[in-house]
Amino acid sequence: MPDLDKLHKAVIEGDWKAAAAVTHAAIAEGVAALTIVGCLVPAMDEVGRLFECEEYFVPEMLLSARAMKASMEIIRPLLAAAGDEPVGRVVIGTVKGDLHDIGKNLVASMLEGGGFEVIDLGADVAPERFIEAVAARHANLVALSALLTVTMPSMKTTIDAFHAAGMRDKVKIMVGGAPVTQQYADSIGADGYSDSAGGAVALARKLGVV
Amino acid sequence: MRLKLISCEVLFREMCQACAHSPHQVDLEFLPKGLHDLGGKPMAARIQEAVDRTGEGEYRAILLGYGLCGNGLDGLTARHTRLVLPRAHDCIALLMGSHACYQAYFDGNPGTYYRSTGWLERGQGLQQLTHHTLGFDESLDALVRRYGEDNGRYLFEEMTRYRAQYRKLTFIETGLEAGGEFMAEAAAEAREKGWSFERLPGDLAWLGRLVEGVWPEAEFVVAEPGQRIVASYDDRVVKAQA
Repeated sequence: MPDLDKLHKAVIEGDWKAAAAVTHAAIAEGVAALTIVGCLVPAMDEVGRLFECEEYFVPEMLLSARAMKASMEIIRPLLAAAGDEPVGRVVIGTVKGDLHDIGKNLVASMLEGGGFEVIDLGADVAPERFIEAVAARHANLVALSALLTVTMPSMKTTIDAFHAAGMRDKVKIMVGGAPVTQQYADSIGADGYSDSAGGAVALARKLGVV
Repeated sequence: MRLKLISCEVLFREMCQACAHSPHQVDLEFLPKGLHDLGGKPMAARIQEAVDRTGEGEYRAILLGYGLCGNGLDGLTARHTRLVLPRAHDCIALLMGSHACYQAYFDGNPGTYYRSTGWLERGQGLQQLTHHTLGFDESLDALVRRYGEDNGRYLFEEMTRYRAQYRKLTFIETGLEAGGEFMAEAAAEAREKGWSFERLPGDLAWLGRLVEGVWPEAEFVVAEPGQRIVASYDDRVVKAQA
């Protein structure tokens, strides 16, 4: 039995090479892909905790996410082959007018590490693109990000567009980004808000598990 | 009357000129540029400290040379002296002279970086802090030194990728540039990044009204003692509430 503690440690320390090596070794020894996912999730939860208590900052989070992704890339085809369904499908992007995507990328990585299938539409995404992606990919969750107070109204425009398209009840919509608050999320009719990438995964699990 | 101005140093030249022309006696205090990089709450805490250092009864009002700045002014409380803040999202709106002007320019020019004298010459003081804790704007060399060759390069790529979405650099000209060097520096930066360059005339009348003590409701929020400034998430940008 390979030492999955080493995978846990590699993710927390942001060592993608070690993460990939341990994952390969585990698979070679017959460890189930889902067992490996079961190791990645708490590791990323711990990274989120370290960020919350300011032991980790954005660079450390990005490196941990990189290590987690290195492992995920190896096991994703195995999960698909085994017919394991993701815990949810999330369409994510920064809203129209906002080009700042570091936070969004981090949340996308964390969600992937949390077992979600992530459809990342990138930055400056118009409402109709979110709607198209949800329809085409049968997503059950939408994650909107904004860094600027001047682009935050695009979150409301996007949610309103889901209403107008008659699709609002098909998806849960979560929002986040530095200037976004719970109060704002409530005021625009979002289903949830998180003030951190780690919190976003917990929120997505609450909202999006089918 | 006697007024206290607490301002971001990004507006140093503009505020100094406005205060020189004010009919009132304005005491100035500048705080480091880039506080917004720390996040809304830490920024508000820093500004609140400066507000709270102001003695009771010394001033008729404490003026804030800021905008909402990524919620960096959200939650600021007026203790014994009223607070006055322009209804601006940030300093770019202040330099353009109105919220409407900024919104129109922002919507019409997606992917634009802004520069002004303060953006070019100020802000070294805080860089150390924001670089080391957040990693933003750190050079490739610095990231490689800290995180090793492979991870350093990866971080640099991840943290600068958003820049590829930018297409334009706009220099806001306020008439306070002593020579052409600020504009030349901004134009050179645009060339180096392969962006188009625009020179946009600024309008300092809004900032002027702040220190002149003319605070129309449409342009300024006034928080009376005991009230807080909060983000309003609408065209008013901010509001005062008990």
